[in-house]
Parts: sequence; C-alpha cells; structure tokens
Amino acid sequence: MSKTGKIVQWEVMRNLHNKQFIIGLFLTPLLIALFAGVPRILERLDKPETVRYYVIDDIDALETLQKGISSETIILRSYEGNREDIEDQTKSDKFTGYFFLQEDFWQSGNLPMFFKERNHQAERTIKAVLGGLLQQNRMQQLGVDEEQVSYLTAAAKLEMIPMEEAIVPQANEIMVSIAFIVLIFFLIFSSGSMLMQSASQERRDRMAEIILSSVTSSQLMQGKIIGQFLLGMIQLLFWITISLPLVIYILEFPVMQAIMDTNLMVVVMFGLLGYLLFSSLFVSMGATMEDMQSAGNSQGLVIMIPMLSFLFISPVVNNPNGMVSRFAGLFPITSPVIMILRNAVTKVPVWEIIASGVILALSSYFTIKAAGKIFRIGMLMYGKTATISEIFRWLKYPD
Amino acid sequence: MFGLELREVSKSFGEKQVVDKVSFASEGGEILGFLGPNGAGKTTTIRILMGIIAADEGKVIYRTEKGFSEIIPKSSIGYLPEERGLYKEAKVLNVLGFLAGLKSVAKKEARERALQWLDKFALKDYSQAKIEELSKGMSQKIQFIASILHKPKLLILDEPFSGLDPVSQDLFKAELRRLAEEGTTILLSSHQMNIMEELCNRIFLIHQGKEVFYGTLPEIKEKYGNYKVTLSVTENYDFNRLTGLSFVADSERLNALEYEISLKEKTQPGEFLTVIDKDCPIRELKVSRSSLHDIFVKIALGREENE
Repeated sequence: MSKTGKIVQWEVMRNLHNKQFIIGLFLTPLLIALFAGVPRILERLDKPETVRYYVIDDIDALETLQKGISSETIILRSYEGNREDIEDQTKSDKFTGYFFLQEDFWQSGNLPMFFKERNHQAERTIKAVLGGLLQQNRMQQLGVDEEQVSYLTAAAKLEMIPMEEAIVPQANEIMVSIAFIVLIFFLIFSSGSMLMQSASQERRDRMAEIILSSVTSSQLMQGKIIGQFLLGMIQLLFWITISLPLVIYILEFPVMQAIMDTNLMVVVMFGLLGYLLFSSLFVSMGATMEDMQSAGNSQGLVIMIPMLSFLFISPVVNNPNGMVSRFAGLFPITSPVIMILRNAVTKVPVWEIIASGVILALSSYFTIKAAGKIFRIGMLMYGKTATISEIFRWLKYPD
Repeated sequence: MFGLELREVSKSFGEKQVVDKVSFASEGGEILGFLGPNGAGKTTTIRILMGIIAADEGKVIYRTEKGFSEIIPKSSIGYLPEERGLYKEAKVLNVLGFLAGLKSVAKKEARERALQWLDKFALKDYSQAKIEELSKGMSQKIQFIASILHKPKLLILDEPFSGLDPVSQDLFKAELRRLAEEGTTILLSSHQMNIMEELCNRIFLIHQGKEVFYGTLPEIKEKYGNYKVTLSVTENYDFNRLTGLSFVADSERLNALEYEISLKEKTQPGEFLTVIDKDCPIRELKVSRSSLHDIFVKIALGREENE
C-alpha cells in the first residue's frame, strides 16, 4: 500500500473507532427523522377521525352530496325518525351533528348545521361540495342545462409540450438533482469541518513533524482529503441506506428511475471537483490553526465560502439561461452547485458544461497547489494560529 | 556503511538568514552532538536534513555501500522532534504500527518489534492502552520506540531526555550507545550538557545559523575550555590575594570557605599553583577543565556581546 493509502486507512479507521463519529453517525439521522420525518409518519399512523352527521333531506340532494364528498371519514346518514327527536338521536348514537337540506337552501345558500363537536376539515369539505351543488342548481333555475353547466364551470388547463425531447427535464429529475446538491453540500461541510479539525488536531498534538519525517506534505494532505472524503461517503451511504426505504414509503417516489434519468456524469464531475476545491482549502486552513476555537477567526470563515452558491439558487431557478445563471455556472466557487442545478432545470449547452468543468478543474489544481504550500508550512508552525498576512507571505515562498 | 554529509547548506525565510553555509559529516556508529542556543537554526537544519523543507543552497549527501544520493530516504530516518506528541485517543500498539507502516515495515513485523520494545521499556501491559492514559514519561518512551522501530540508519533526536527521570535517562543512554554500536548514526540535540559530554563522539555547535565549532570533545575543550580551580580552606583566608592576579579571568565565591577561580585562556594550572602561599590552609584543591555547559554559555554569550 502506498503511503497516501496508509494515511487514508489511518484517518478512516481512527474516526470509525472514535465515539464521537459513531454517535454522530447514528444520532444525525435520528435527529433528522425526529424533526422532519416523525410528524409525517405520525400523521399517517394516526387515522383521521370519522365524523357522522344525520341529514334530513327534503330536496333529494343527499346522494349527490355523498358522491361529491367521496370520503370514508365523513359519513352522512339519512334520518328517518321524528324530526323532534333528531337531537336526542344524534347524542345517543354519538354522531357529530345534524343538518337539514331544505328548499330554502337553494334561495338563501345558508345551511344551519347543528354540532356536538366541531370538525373543521369535514365542515370545509361539505361546504365545498354544497357550493358546487348550489351553483349548479341556480344555473338550472336560470335555464342552463347540465351540459352547459359543466361547460361553463370547466377549469382552464396548461398543457406543456417540449419542442425538443430534453428541453424541459422531468420534475423527478429536478428533485433528484436537488437531493444531490444537498448531499454534495453535506459532504463539503461535514468532511470540510472534519478535515479542518483533523489538520488542526495533528498540529496541536505535535504529530505533524513526526509524520512529515515519513511522508511528504502532499502525501499527508492527499491522505487526509481522501480519508475524510471516504468517511463522508460512509456517513452518506449509511444514512441513505436507512433513509431510502422511508423516503420511498412516505413520498411514494420512484427514486431509482429518477436517478437513472438524471445526468449523473455532470453530478459526479462537478461534485468531485467541487469537493477537491473546497476540501484542499479547508485542510490548508486547518493547518494554520492552533485549535478549533480559532475557527472563529478569518480561517474559520473559509468554511462559509461554499454558501455563496445559495445566493444564486433563486435567480438560476427563475431564469436558468440568464446572464447571472451563466456567470454562476462558470465561476468556480459556485459552479459545482449551480451547474448541477442548471442542468436539472434547463438544457445547458455542452460547451458551457465543458468550459465550466475546465475552469473548475484548473481552479481546483491551483487551489490544491497553493493549499499544499500553506499546509506544509502551517503544519510545522507550532504554538499559534497564523495570521492572514503570514499565509499570503507563505504563498510567495518557493516550492 | 552509512554516511551523511551537509555541504554549505543555507536557508533563509524572507529576509532572515536562518542557516548560513553549514557543513558537517558523520559516519555510521557515531553520536554527533548538535548544539546551539534557542533560535540558532538547529530545527531548520534538521528539517532540511530530513527533506521536510528544501535548502536554498548547498547539498545533503547520503552515502551507502551502493553509492551517493542527495536525498536521504525517509525510511532510513528516525526522528524524535522536540515539539512532539502522539494521537491521544489512539491505542499504543496501533500508533506504533501506523508509524512503522509509514516507514515501510510490514504490519506483522511492526507488531512483533513493538511488543519487544514495549517489553524492554516495561510497557508491555500498556500495549492496548490509549495514549492519553499514559504518563508523560511513558508516552516519551513510546515516542522513542516509534523513532527506532524501523531500525533507521540515521536517528535524529531533539531533546530526548527532557522530562525523563534519572532511571529512564540511563535506559535511554544505554539504548543510544547500543544503537550506535550497531552502526546507527545518531544526531543528538540537547541542552543537557552533562549527557552530551557523556554520549557524544563529536560536537557541532551552531549559533545564529553559522558553525561555531565542529570537532571532538577534547578538541572543543582544548579550544574553548580554560582551566578552573576550586579551592576550599579550613579557616578564614584572604582570597583577594588570588582573585586579583592578572591571569585570573573570573572568580566566584561558593561559600565562606570556598572559591571557584577561572583562569584566562592559555594559562596553565601550574602557573596558578606556584602563587599559592605555603600558609594557605587548604582543605581541598581541584583543577578541572571548563565543562561543556560553561563553554556553551561562554560562546553563546560571547558571540551575542560581540554582535
């Protein structure tokens, strides 16, 4: 195994045995599930309450009303007994309430509803269906026949027809692309902060010089970047494995089909290049910090740089081929996220994808080179956090 | 046989010249003392030697039976830096295995050697302990083991004795002598001059990035070590008669009945002895050469005063 490979293995194994990492691995999805998933699951588990109303129907509208409601949880039962006894019957049968469908409803549009307890959801549904019946009845009174009524009340529809097959991606593809963007963001932030911590800890533990007597600073940096990438992927795969069945169950979403429909090449290329760019930046900043408390300093702010992409998300969604979107798609700090997003909402010209990829690859290369220099010098400077002017001075040193 | 040579190596950081045309050589089996005050350029020289940083000028030459090279293979170097630590949350055997692995020692071999060394330092019971559970002395022994586990040809030790109790110091000294006998070249940097005197075959003294002295201990003493007379008497005696003499460089009253008198350069002790009068109530008289400690202080202070 190469020396970089040994460092990768050490980084991965050390963290996999670390209690904090293991707790985080299990706790994070639990917390996400707790705050996002559990209310929905509970909603599903908790069956809606069935409401029952007695109805005295003098206008032969009950059957149409029942059809219109078409809900198993709203039961309307025709009352056949004495009108004076309906309230007592409602109470003794533990019904929710009762109401009369009478001739004056067609004129007044007003329906008194007697209730024992209110159920707003059921009331809204009944009101909506009754509204339709009222409208229909009044039109018929005005001499408009049934066919004309449905013609008059028909809603307008927009039928979207793409001029070319790939011009408008499917909604599922957009959802998957957004999911990938979230995952890439997570990978960058999670692995990024772990990288910073790892470099800073190695420096604080006074291990850097011992390690550098065995490997080059580039090997050490590469090992850390790859190691933390793998750890991030382990976290993601673990969480995806346990969450995917839940997502499919809750959202009833054809995940595999949507992934197959997504332009995975663009996602993987921009995701990886983006990770390389930001992780090399983060690890080099970690090497300049004595401890993570210094993360409040300028170096700590570096971790916020990927957030710049958020500024462009709305302009890109609203106008994916506009000037702002094109700029954000080429600018290397925002392009990893923006190109994936643009590619999901519009058909990006191939030359733009290639140009953006080349700019990002070159930026990553030069960032890695500069980061390597900062890392090499920073790791050997003990006892204090480097200032920004010192970091810029190091960049001028020969390799 | 392993050989190491530095030829006119220089390094500067920005405007500051940290190492200035430093040259020395060392053969296998030698313990070379690498001395200098804080900020003299020792750490930078060591880092250049190990290839952690590159020299601006000059060469590092590494010699083996097979030929010459300008880079010392990292697997041939063992290093114990002054600023040192270990992964606190990791287990002893895992850390040793990882560090030996980086020096290309096979996993099984590394484990066997680590257990042998732990046994030698009475730490075998701690092989599965976490580093943070060990005392300072114990973790220092682990760090020492890590630096020699791969059987390096060049062992660089920066302040290996600091914080060690006398028993552990003796253990370290014995191991260093044994390693040297087996052919390891040891570059030893320490401010504990008595230990340096005990162990080193030769001394390289650096100050403000420049070579001050390079030679054997008798040579350095010959060059810089004046004679020193310690005189103690049984009753009151007028020491001024002696301390005021023209060939006395310095004197220090140790207590009411004892004085330490340093003679000027090139003054022989016999010259001093002839001026002690016959009535002097001598209880004890000791003539010695200045210690390495005295020479170090004298050179460091003297150079600073001159500059």
